[in-house]
Amino acid sequence: MKRPLIVAILIAFAAVPAAAQDKKGFVWNDRPSIVFGEDINVAVTGRALVEWRWFDPDVGEDLFALRAGRLGLKGDLTRHLDWEIEREIGAGDAEEEGDSRIEFGDWKDVFVRWRTFDAARVKVGRFKIPFGLEQNTGVSELDFAYRALGSQKIAPGRDTGVMMSGALGRLGYEAGIFDDDGDNAEFSETQFVEEGQDLPNVGPSFAVRISGDLFRALGVSGRLRSANLGVAYTNSDVPEGLNSLRGESFWGTQDFFERVYVKGRRQRFGAQFDWTPGPTSLRAEWMQSREQRKEQSNRNADLSDFIGTAWYVTGTWFVTGEDKDDNVNAKRPLFKGGPGAIELAARYEQLGFGSASNEGDSFTNPRAEHLTPNSDSVFTLGVNWITSKWTRVIVNAIHEDFEDVNRTPVAGTTSFWSGLIRLNIVF
Amino acid sequence: MRQLIRTGVLLIGFALALGTPLAAQTSDDFFNPEALQRIELWMHGQDWEKLKAAFEENTYYPADMTWNGITVYNIGIRSRGLGSRSSSKPGLRVDFDRYNNGQQFLGLKSYVLDNLTQDNTGIKETVAMRFFTRIGIRAPRETHARLYVNGVYSGLYGLVESVDKTMMGRVFGSIGDNVQNDGYLFEYNYVIGSPWRFTYEGSDLAPYKTRFDIKTNETHAESVIWGPIEELVRLVNDTSSTLFEQTIGPKLNLAEFVRYIAGQNFIAQNDGFNGYDGMNNFYFYRLENSTSHTFIAWDEDVAFLQPDFGITTRLDENALTRKTLELPSYRSQYFSGLSEAASSASDWMRQEMQRQFDMINEAMLADPKKPYTNAEYMADRERLLAFPDARITYVRCEVAKQTGATLPSGCQ
Repeated sequence: MKRPLIVAILIAFAAVPAAAQDKKGFVWNDRPSIVFGEDINVAVTGRALVEWRWFDPDVGEDLFALRAGRLGLKGDLTRHLDWEIEREIGAGDAEEEGDSRIEFGDWKDVFVRWRTFDAARVKVGRFKIPFGLEQNTGVSELDFAYRALGSQKIAPGRDTGVMMSGALGRLGYEAGIFDDDGDNAEFSETQFVEEGQDLPNVGPSFAVRISGDLFRALGVSGRLRSANLGVAYTNSDVPEGLNSLRGESFWGTQDFFERVYVKGRRQRFGAQFDWTPGPTSLRAEWMQSREQRKEQSNRNADLSDFIGTAWYVTGTWFVTGEDKDDNVNAKRPLFKGGPGAIELAARYEQLGFGSASNEGDSFTNPRAEHLTPNSDSVFTLGVNWITSKWTRVIVNAIHEDFEDVNRTPVAGTTSFWSGLIRLNIVF
Repeated sequence: MRQLIRTGVLLIGFALALGTPLAAQTSDDFFNPEALQRIELWMHGQDWEKLKAAFEENTYYPADMTWNGITVYNIGIRSRGLGSRSSSKPGLRVDFDRYNNGQQFLGLKSYVLDNLTQDNTGIKETVAMRFFTRIGIRAPRETHARLYVNGVYSGLYGLVESVDKTMMGRVFGSIGDNVQNDGYLFEYNYVIGSPWRFTYEGSDLAPYKTRFDIKTNETHAESVIWGPIEELVRLVNDTSSTLFEQTIGPKLNLAEFVRYIAGQNFIAQNDGFNGYDGMNNFYFYRLENSTSHTFIAWDEDVAFLQPDFGITTRLDENALTRKTLELPSYRSQYFSGLSEAASSASDWMRQEMQRQFDMINEAMLADPKKPYTNAEYMADRERLLAFPDARITYVRCEVAKQTGATLPSGCQ
């Protein structure tokens, strides 16, 4: 099964691109594609990320990382349907010396979308739950090497489900029902389940997001008219156990807030702001999770909700003057004597967890009524050098500051610096 | 009117009864050896089952604890022990500050609930520690407790003071305002399959780090923590008899050491410092702002092996013991220590054993989780009660033989 897919991909890459205007056969249209006819085509997608890093103090992370690559196919099946499949790939362990093996990892996007009506498109399969502006932004459009902590830890990520989306006047909407509660909210503990049984009471989850150009609708004049605002909500049930969301440090080396015992409903509330006037952008998000802890005290009584809160503010500026939109084209391309497109970026963010109750002494005990809060505040400065449509060099300097000195990657230290240089290849 | 007075008296009495236990409780009350305590733990039902199922792991679980009308919330408990680990009656370490660094209970940060699974009598550990304290060996305070988990009687346990900074402060006191508990405390780690008898293991600190688990000042440099232990072991092995006392004396309190091994021998501890499989069951403490080390007693629940346990058993196997007792003055102190132990035990040990048996008897018989039958308990109880008199006679006779003194009456 693997070999034919690899062969197909290699053939696609090796094919001499047909002239785009032929519209049939192999076409290089930003990526290798095969066009079978009007509205019937297949394109190859992929990405590879190579990263060099430094840390102060050392947190035990590798100084070089070849992050998992991805390969996929996407295409149209008539003007009513489009589809996409994508899967992680990486180098597997060789069985014998000299062997090399390609190993397939998790499935990413696997969906079919019915798009006949702009007001009501239907997507079925595995894809991102509509919560989180940055979480739902593709890797090639991110302003930094890594998404903000809230986008990684509170926003749910991908799941299997069905979603309807569309535009109703100036409002866009997405609403879906999903099998589970997203990859970012994987359950860690199955001790209340017999071996071989599925976790009970997980999902289905429900998610909805509404966004629109609110200032335009309110008749505000000027550049702010283009600002897009949105709100989002998810709801699901969580199985009993150490299954809450958790706080993980930026590099994932330490849980600065470990999972607590939960049982009941998990809700997420989100708000987003997205404004891209000319070569600049200003983006901000706030999100909060609330998880019930029914019958979870030391004496089996209900506990106050477990709350996670995250927010970030990001500002960017193309010093080379390009407009900030989804397809940035360098005004003076690198291979035509120019510098490429160069963007400066800054982000301040915070992710924190605690309990709804603040009464009495606080404890880190996962069954405490008043949980000792902890948060990670991260400031990131970045430079993005867009060298072509498919390649980008990202330089980030990251400063982390933890609230609780006892729960950091290096006990007794609250302040951490790190940096990275990454080469993104995305097509 | 009479009814009113009666009601008033009852109310005042009730208020006093409620207030009394809360008023003046101390850690001495908690470890009062003359009181059979009642400890109640409240845990989420799933957690207690998980702890028992995963009794080989050191995973902490949250709990509330009630003792003598005082409840302390959100403490951490975990399974503990080496050979004594049990799924049906787990030994427990109870940490008050596990989930909040500032939380203490009667000034304690933690204590141990010894499951008594390796001692059919249930009192060997508590008698041994009281005896050690009596003869001047530093030892944790201990008593017994009936443990209730979520309201269900879960067995008779030993209530054992943790050997930690709090205890170091208690036993070493203060100089001025400075509590002498900021030294380097180590728990000796018995490495299965690698018995050790204080032989030099080279200049690399790794072997010493493996055998001596640091319990205080953990963040200090390894050379500061374990360097002095490596040096002590090297000097013990390399120093001649003529220079031994002046070289080792500043690094190890030799008089206390000799008293400690004499005390362990008296109670016929076969798994102690001069144990059958190398050293085992002790804490080691380097005093605050000092190069001097000393021993703290720990885990004596397999003591009282037999009354005729030889008084020179394995004295020549352990490098530290052998080199110390090669010096006539310390060899003499060793036999003096045994004689003093015999004297101290003669008017105390059997009565103490009987008192403890009387105190725990009902709780022991009702213990549904103990890994021995009531008949076995009763038989071993009688054997243990016969130990003191026989041991005292044996030790006195053997010391006389070793030192050339006149044999006491009753010697063979």
